Amino acid sequence: MDQQAQDIAISGKHRVFSLLRIWAISRNTFTQLVRMKVFYFMLIFSALIIGANLLFLSFTFEQELKILKDVSFGAMSLFASIFAIVGTALLIPKDLEDRTLYTILTKPVPRIEYLIGKLLGILLLIAVSILLMSLLFFAVLYIRQHGILAEKIASIPRQVSEADIESFRESIFSRGLQPELLLGVVAVFLKAAVAAAVALFVSTFASSTLFTIIVSLVIYFIGHAQALALDFYFAKGEMHSAGQRFFAGLIGVVFPNFQLFNVADGLTAGEVISTSLMARLVGLTAFYLTIYSLVSWLVFAKKEL
Amino acid sequence: MPLERDMEMEFKEQGFRDWSPGLSSRDQLTQAAFVGALGGFRSLVASVYHLKAHNSFVKKNWGEVERYRTVTASLQPKFWSYWDLAVWDMAWNAYGYYRGEAEEYSDDFKGWHIENIIMPTYLQKGIDYAKRGLEWLPDDYRLLKVIADIYDQKMGNAEKAAEWYLKASRKPEAPPHVYRAYAHQLTLCAGREKEAYRVTEDLYRNSGDLTLTLLRDLERLEDDIARRAARDMTYEQLRDAALAEDAGYLEMASFAGYLLEVRKDFSAAVDIYEKVAGHSQAPTFYRRKLAFLMADHPKKAVEAYQMLKTLALSDPAALRREDMSRIAQLESRLGIAKQKRIRP
Amino acid sequence: MANSSTPAVQIEGLTKVFRLPFKQEKVVAVDGLSLQVDAGEVYGLIGPNGSGKSTTMKVLLGLISPSAGKASIFGLDSGDTASRGSVGFLPENPYFYKYLTGSETLAFYGKLCGLSRKQIRERSDELLEMVDLTGARDRRLGGYSKGMLQRIGLAQALVGDPRLVVLDEPTAGVDPAGSRKIRDLVLELKRRGITVILSSHLLEQVQEVCDEVGIIFNGRLVREGKLNDLIAIEDQSEIVLQNATPQLLERIAEMVEGEEGAQLLRCGNPRTTLERLFLQEIKEGSKQGGEDA
Repeated sequence: MDQQAQDIAISGKHRVFSLLRIWAISRNTFTQLVRMKVFYFMLIFSALIIGANLLFLSFTFEQELKILKDVSFGAMSLFASIFAIVGTALLIPKDLEDRTLYTILTKPVPRIEYLIGKLLGILLLIAVSILLMSLLFFAVLYIRQHGILAEKIASIPRQVSEADIESFRESIFSRGLQPELLLGVVAVFLKAAVAAAVALFVSTFASSTLFTIIVSLVIYFIGHAQALALDFYFAKGEMHSAGQRFFAGLIGVVFPNFQLFNVADGLTAGEVISTSLMARLVGLTAFYLTIYSLVSWLVFAKKEL
Repeated sequence: MPLERDMEMEFKEQGFRDWSPGLSSRDQLTQAAFVGALGGFRSLVASVYHLKAHNSFVKKNWGEVERYRTVTASLQPKFWSYWDLAVWDMAWNAYGYYRGEAEEYSDDFKGWHIENIIMPTYLQKGIDYAKRGLEWLPDDYRLLKVIADIYDQKMGNAEKAAEWYLKASRKPEAPPHVYRAYAHQLTLCAGREKEAYRVTEDLYRNSGDLTLTLLRDLERLEDDIARRAARDMTYEQLRDAALAEDAGYLEMASFAGYLLEVRKDFSAAVDIYEKVAGHSQAPTFYRRKLAFLMADHPKKAVEAYQMLKTLALSDPAALRREDMSRIAQLESRLGIAKQKRIRP
Repeated sequence: MANSSTPAVQIEGLTKVFRLPFKQEKVVAVDGLSLQVDAGEVYGLIGPNGSGKSTTMKVLLGLISPSAGKASIFGLDSGDTASRGSVGFLPENPYFYKYLTGSETLAFYGKLCGLSRKQIRERSDELLEMVDLTGARDRRLGGYSKGMLQRIGLAQALVGDPRLVVLDEPTAGVDPAGSRKIRDLVLELKRRGITVILSSHLLEQVQEVCDEVGIIFNGRLVREGKLNDLIAIEDQSEIVLQNATPQLLERIAEMVEGEEGAQLLRCGNPRTTLERLFLQEIKEGSKQGGEDA
């Protein structure tokens, strides 16, 4: 054995868990998705928001701002969820198909690191796209609310007093760019994160991208409807036998209650969400990410490649 | 999962996200929209149906408007505006459209049918929407007010209008004009004049915002009281009440009205009215009354004109639109130079 | 700590049984296979497609777990992630992230091996030079030819400075020139003292570079040994001539005929003797397999 090899053998002590390796995988995943030109979706998003602006003719400002918010949040949620599910489904099965996975796992990389790295990469992509979308959304909202204020002032024939302008501003802006909207943005991210974790789990046992996408979408939709279904079966939360409770719990774990994340629906209608509820939403997301990562790992660690 | 159920309950307690697609809206959603609504795009689907409703409104297809409004409102029942729009489309837009139709067929049975069957139905639909909205938003004064508006503007039912304006005015966010609307409707309710006067006078004394409606209502109610007193009481009773040490201006006005209307004693009436107008509590419209009373009397015309001029400067709201022509007549009778005349 | 006497690879009684999904059937891919590769050796694993070469390699690299038996690299069990610290692997027909450039690819794998930024830069320069891709380092892999992909794959396998390199069908689908280039690289690795295991069904390649050869058939190691021992036939000699005229060949034939007991078996252009040997082993192997059943 030559000297160099021996040096490596001595110095290159293997680390059981390495954040640097995870980060390398995450960044690679992110770069890969970025270079797949996913950010072209921003063009569609911009078109949607600007298109929504054109629909406003003949509506009150309250409706106009609401439609703008609805379309923006709807599109954000749609894109984020698509990225979460399709992005995740594209990555792992493709790595396996192309045998790229072999080259990674034959490096000293534990399988859990690979999974976490992929998940973080997707989350990073989702976060950046949501950031871009919300910046655009907020910018349009800001421009519109000032535009509406100017139109309002111009529409009044007489001299408008400072106090009147102030009250217009107050009533228009309170339906425009408000800090609470950030909670909606965060909730969109949390929901997409859970969807990504679900897709990650599915892709650990699925053999193809298509299968992963379909199964994840099914879970996604059932997750939205599960609360309804449980309500229906158990007459508004009254569960009697232990069996029923177990069944409901099982449904709850397998199908995350995605409806809980639809904070934006309420926000655009002018409702208020408490910080404690928001904090618990974050906690719930963390719970799902952990559970799904662990289960994914259990499946993936034993997977025969 | 227990945690999720807890959060769900709390969401519901906060009135947040409490939604399940009711049968009524589920039947009317297309499959795609239903899936979208379930898939977390409820608010977006609601917006789309809102636009569809608007399109149907443009086409004047009221059945469609109603269907889409129901969908929008039940998708986001906590958004008051969707209920309000539904009410508006039914009780104003559809109603107004059929009123036009009814006029066109005024001689036919069709016209009768529209006017007596269809139009009231749309008013009722409007009221029903507002009431359903109130199940979700029991504290929303705007939905209460819109019901009152229908009773007031469309049905001419002052009793009902007063009842709903009062309900609306009790909500924390209701602006003062809702209570004033209640007061106004009350003045239109036959047999409730005393109640109306109490409310109106209280508003006159205690609210900072004296609107024309309020002033006219008060004047009308006080005239009414004076007329009633003049009818129900004897001359002596009226006189004693008016000349008592602590007599209120209302007693004096009643007496003055009696002198004028029954005794036809112009100068005695003017004397008493002068006391009324000078009373610290009396609203300014007594000064107007006095001035016009005197204006018809040649000897007092100059003095009357001076009073009107002062009133026009100090309290223009006390004068009415139709007063301007009377003032102009007076001015030409007195030969007032053009540049010195009262300008509105 | 492994010392130089620890074998680079030790496989003992390795058996791998695959269950077919939704069926009761089982497929025995590797059946009680044992082999050992000493440090510094170039070991060729040959066998037809489906004989168990790839499965053996996957077990060795921890991609699948054995049904029975065990495999280790420099004394560390293959199931242990740490064992992959000293190995580099080039899969058959590898695809890498085609959105990465050559040097980004090496940087990525370098990070996975725990190299520092400085180490990565140095290793990348050196390896790109070695596999002759310095000019293409900033091009994305999407634009690489098959041969270039194979070479970047090799560089990737070497980025962690492994003591063992496993190459699965390294020349599959590569044109002859590219194939020769890879052969040269393997020889270069050998010169540097790196242990190499390569699998192939192209025997010529194995013959040219391997010290030791194992023949796998039906999941079993049917023959193993030093290449020279395996292909040398004791009672036969071979003369290879250059520019021999037909007249000369005729004279040689006459001389042989004159000799007692000697016989001229054939005369012609040289052929791969290993291939002959291989075919013969296969024939015997299937005969045996038939008897077992």
